[in-house]
Amino acid sequence: MSFRSIDVDALDEDILHQDELFVFSNGIEIDPETALNDVKTKEVDVRNFLTRGETTTALIKAIENPPYGLHTSEAKDRNTQIVMDVLNSTKATVDLTKSLSTEQQDILMKYIYRGMASPDLYNSAVLLNWHEKLTEAAGVGCIVRVITDRKTV
Amino acid sequence: MSNTLRPYLAAVRSTLTAALCLENFSSQVVERHNKPEVEARSSSEVVMNPLIISRNENEKVMIEPSVNSIRISIKIKQADEIETILCKKFTRFMMLRAENFIILRRKPIDGYNISFLITNFHTEQMYKHKLVDFIIQFMEEVDKEISEMKLSLNARARIVAESYLSQFD
Repeated sequence: MSFRSIDVDALDEDILHQDELFVFSNGIEIDPETALNDVKTKEVDVRNFLTRGETTTALIKAIENPPYGLHTSEAKDRNTQIVMDVLNSTKATVDLTKSLSTEQQDILMKYIYRGMASPDLYNSAVLLNWHEKLTEAAGVGCIVRVITDRKTV
Repeated sequence: MSNTLRPYLAAVRSTLTAALCLENFSSQVVERHNKPEVEARSSSEVVMNPLIISRNENEKVMIEPSVNSIRISIKIKQADEIETILCKKFTRFMMLRAENFIILRRKPIDGYNISFLITNFHTEQMYKHKLVDFIIQFMEEVDKEISEMKLSLNARARIVAESYLSQFD
């Protein structure tokens, strides 16, 4: 009966593969090495901003240019860690979330969901607070864009 | 109500409201079939990113949206072994009667205690905000229910132990 477990649809030439879901070629938007190096330089900048107490600038810096695409999980993990550090050291306010542009709000929302997906690593209570404030400022549309965007963080 | 429950439920509510945008969508693989895409997984372009909302390690909700259906899986708080047993019995009782709950799934997803499957046919028959309210209310009630059951179980165990041991007086 082993023939029953064969996925015959996978042999169809019309089949859509996971890496074809992306607009860029083969799901690779950025070279994994470059992505990791970018994130490392970003980490230093964000730390500097945080020690100087410029939390808004640190937040904007942390969520700018996030690594997308396949095979960049190391860079993604590292960037998530940076964003979580910033979020933990800042108190969520509606004014702060309102001051971000729509794109920045979307990226921040992606990171909030990413953080909540691993409650053993990150503090969910802080993230829930951020989520509430961000939803208040950006509305439900922001969540819809996180759901539908193939560029995951 | 503890301080993280309200933002937790608010996050679930807004995410559900965002995810519940369903339309009728026939299968792209088999003609004249109409299956919930989140279950069938026959075409990956119509299944969207799953979202997880967590309160802590023991309490979380996973929402998997797709074009014509969403699946909501809830992990219920289980502080000790009694609560684990009670939770298992309670969800089993409900899932055996899944057809009465309409949107309840007969089996939970791996790692969660109870799952709901909402399709476009449900949103056509029922109000979207009422469906969201139902899920939120369920999440509120189930914690309360289980802790109440635990209390009455302990009280009963105490009475049983007392009346049993009283004959040795």
